[in-house]
Order: sequence, then structure tokens, then C-alpha cells
Amino acid sequence: MSALISSRTRGLIALAGAALIGALASGRPELALIAMPLLVFAGAGLVLAREPHLAVEIELDRTRLLEGEHAVATVRLRNDGGGAVLVEVALLRTRNLALEPVGAAGILLRAGVRSELTFAVRPQRWGAHAVGPVVVCARDLLGVTTWEGRLGGRVDLRAFPREQRLRELVAPLRTQPFLGTHVARVRGEGIEFADVRPFHAGDRVRHINWRATARRGVPQVNERHPEHSSDVVLLLDTFEEARDSAGGTLDDAVRAAAALARACLARRDRVALVDFGGTLHWLEPAFGTTQLYRIIDALLASDIAFSYAWRNVETIPLRVLPPGALVLAISPLLDGRSLAMVADLRRRGFDLTVIEVSPLDHVSPGESDDDAAAYRLWRLQREAIRARLQSLGIGVAVWGRDGDLGPALEGVNIFRRSARPAVHA
Amino acid sequence: MRLLAEIALVVLAAIGVAGCASLLLGTPPTRRRRARAPAPPRPDQLVALERLTTSARTSAVHVHAYLRPVLVEITSGRLAAHGHNLDRMPELTGRALLGDRLWDIVRPGRPFPEDRRGPGVTPQELRAMLEVLERL
Repeated sequence: MSALISSRTRGLIALAGAALIGALASGRPELALIAMPLLVFAGAGLVLAREPHLAVEIELDRTRLLEGEHAVATVRLRNDGGGAVLVEVALLRTRNLALEPVGAAGILLRAGVRSELTFAVRPQRWGAHAVGPVVVCARDLLGVTTWEGRLGGRVDLRAFPREQRLRELVAPLRTQPFLGTHVARVRGEGIEFADVRPFHAGDRVRHINWRATARRGVPQVNERHPEHSSDVVLLLDTFEEARDSAGGTLDDAVRAAAALARACLARRDRVALVDFGGTLHWLEPAFGTTQLYRIIDALLASDIAFSYAWRNVETIPLRVLPPGALVLAISPLLDGRSLAMVADLRRRGFDLTVIEVSPLDHVSPGESDDDAAAYRLWRLQREAIRARLQSLGIGVAVWGRDGDLGPALEGVNIFRRSARPAVHA
Repeated sequence: MRLLAEIALVVLAAIGVAGCASLLLGTPPTRRRRARAPAPPRPDQLVALERLTTSARTSAVHVHAYLRPVLVEITSGRLAAHGHNLDRMPELTGRALLGDRLWDIVRPGRPFPEDRRGPGVTPQELRAMLEVLERL
């Protein structure tokens, strides 16, 4: 910690100096007499000051929470030697992390005494945050000398996005031959009834439909649809976002991606993640809870990276886009590269749905007449973009800030029943 | 008389010094900085359209080269939802559906304006065209 003469001591010394100069200039010793107590006070304070040996530990009651919840940060202070000091502690933290109480907290700390201060830490946005170190400003009891420094370590706090519960998801057109919850279009071992056909050698006797056999006179067996899983690729567009003081489209997109990943993994699908923007990140498809935590950890690191680089489907590794996968593109549809990417994926035969995180909630029209007209034109242009994507057979779910994702996905399912199926992948 | 004046001067000086000292020994004033958060950037799509609506007032070239493609894209999409095709639309139907001014801009095969410095689109005309498009 660095020692400094406090600003008030410097002021007192300056005042005493002015009085002494005044005494010399005017030839009146009374002014020097007035200056003496100030000088004695400052001198005694400087001589008697002893540097404290402060140690600080920062501890959080929990390091993982949902956005909007709060954690309690305990700052433990220990004065291992020196004199008693008045300590002011300010906890440093990253952006989007609110503290209560706001600003510095003060405490009197005598030598050999331990004390602690508590702060409520509330992440205002999902992400990886850092709490600490603390800026400590200690003053001796006379307030003549101050010691300042940064003490304590940095504690990581991860705020997970608050997710919506999804009852219904987009049904994939194709399934993979792994056990899952989707009724496959092919026939095989399963529960869902498909058809009745004549008995062939090798068929199990338990599959014989005795009523049909009795009617037709020859043995008939039931055919069924097996329950399969599917591959789902979550494509997160991080090229551009619309943002206001309350949040941005990327915040909503990450919440949607986390909710979709959880719901898809719960129905035993393999889920992959592609963070498609200025920088490209991906997670290969996998099953299970471990994959959910991998995806959420990857989502917490997602951010808008400004870039002029052109990116297309060929920049994504093939193993991340398995054939027959259902691609859920979560995008505000603000960047031409993401629009081209979506259209390209569709032309390559992928089963594709766009979840449009509406930027309209985050942008207000300008004040001038021209800007207001431009805003109306923008809304119409976005509808035209949506119509163009739908003409390619891509279902588009529009999701606003305060809306529910479930009904938006239901609208896509209705669209997909009448849309052209993907040709091949 | 002079002694009284000297005493008064010293007393006043002492009061002044005591006042300054008490101010200094009191709670140091905290510096308050009014943090002004930078305005979030507006989406490029919207900024481009804001420039477009301003420039479309200036000349017929801007209308043809920049505003027309946007209006054609929007009009085609909205007409397609009703089963119409802008490229094959008869003039009478187009004028009836879109109005004279909008049809004049988005009609297929519109030639490049001969008078490059001809008038652009007034704000009133643009608002009227937007109302037509929103009604479609």
C-alpha cells in the first residue's frame, strides 16, 4: 500500500504557511501564533502515524446463479499490526454487476482486530463476472496520513440466463437411429402404430394382429414407427445486435438458445452450438446434461465481435452440421451475412427454422419526420425479409422481448406443416 | 483606537483560519462524476434507411437508384402475400392497388430518370406511400 499525506493535512500546512507569510509580510507575530497549532497538529499526526498491515479476503456465498438473483460478497479485513485506522473499502466489479450498498463502505479497524463488510452483488445480465479486488483507503485516526492500495483477489461469478420453459419445440423432419422421443417416419420397433401387412418369415409372433388375421384369412402383423432422436444445431448469430438501456437482442438470443438447448437435450436429442459472427465458435453435437453445461458455458462467452470478414457455411466444420440435422438459427436478422448464411443452409437442404429475436423492441423511431418514415420503412423491409425466407421454405418465429417463445414456435410448426420439406442434406 | 483595530484584525484572522480548518477537517467532499452512458448504436439497416429517406428528397436519381429497390422489395413481398406479382401486374391494377406515385416508382421497367436533378420524393409523398404499403 502506498502512503500519502492526506489532502486535508496538505490544506492545513498550506494554511499555516500562508499565515506565516502573512505574519512576515505584515510584521505581526499574532498570525504566526495562529499558524502554530495547525503545524503542531500536522507534525504530530505525521510522527505518530504507523502503517497498518491490512489483509483482505473476498468470499461469495455462491459463485453460480441465475441472472436477477443476488449473491452476498463478504469482504474480510484484518489489521495485523500498526495503529488503528479508519478504512474505506470499495469493491471493484465488472460491468453489468450491481452492488448494494453503492460506493465505499467505512469501518474503524484497530490493530489485531478482524472485521467484515458485506455487499449484495446482483448480475444484471447473464455472463461471467468478476468480483474484486477491493480498493482500500486507510486513514490514521487524526486523518493526517492515508494509505491506499488494491487488496484481495478476484472471485468469478457466473450468471446463467433465465430461461423460459418450453412445452413444445419444432418437430424435426428427419430423425437419427438413436433412441429418443420423436416418432420416426420409418417403420420398425416402436409403440406408435403404422400399418398392417402380411406375415413374413422372421416376424415375431407377438406382432401378429389376430383380428386382421381372422378377417383376411392369412396371418397379418402390425408395423410400428420407432422412437428416434434427432440432431439439433443451434446457430447463434453474433454479427450485430440492437441494444437499449434495458438490454439487447444478444441477451434475448442467449436466453432463447439456453432454453432450446435444455428442452432439446431433455427430449434426448443431440445438440450442437455454432456461435456465428465476427468470430466463429462451435460445440460438436452430443447428448446429455454435460452437453447442456458445455453449451451454457459457451453461451456465457458469446459477444458481438465487429468484423468485415465474410463468412459462409463452408467456414463451419462439417462435423458440427450433421446431415439431416434440424438447424435452429437464432438471429435478429440485422446482418446481410447471417441472411445469406440462412438462405445458403436452406439451399443445401437443411431442415431450417429461424427464430427472429426482434430488434424493434430495442430501437425507437427517430424524432424527425424523415427518421420516423425510415423506421416505418425498416419495419416493412423486415417483413419483406421474413416473407423472402418463408418463400424459401424456412419457418420464421418472431420473438419479442416480453413475449413467450412457445407460441412463436407453435406458429412455426403450423407453417412447416404446409411448407416444402427439405430435399436432402 | 489603533489597538482595538489590531485586536479586531487578529480576531477576524483567527475566525477565518478556524473556519478554513474546520472545513478541511470535516468530511472531504466526494467527487461526483455524472457518468453519461454512450447512446447505443442504431442498427446499420435502420441508419441506412434514415440516410435514404433524407437523400430521396434531393433528386430523382436518388429515388431511382436507392429508394426504388427498397420499395420494390417491400411491395413485391406484400403483393405476393395476396397472390399478385408485381412484375406481371397490369398498369391499371397497379395504380388501383398502389396509388399513382408508388406505382410510378415501383412499376417494372421504370427507365432511369432523364432529368437527373429532377425532384425527389417529398416527405408527404413518402408518408402516403408508406400508408399504402402498410394497408396492403
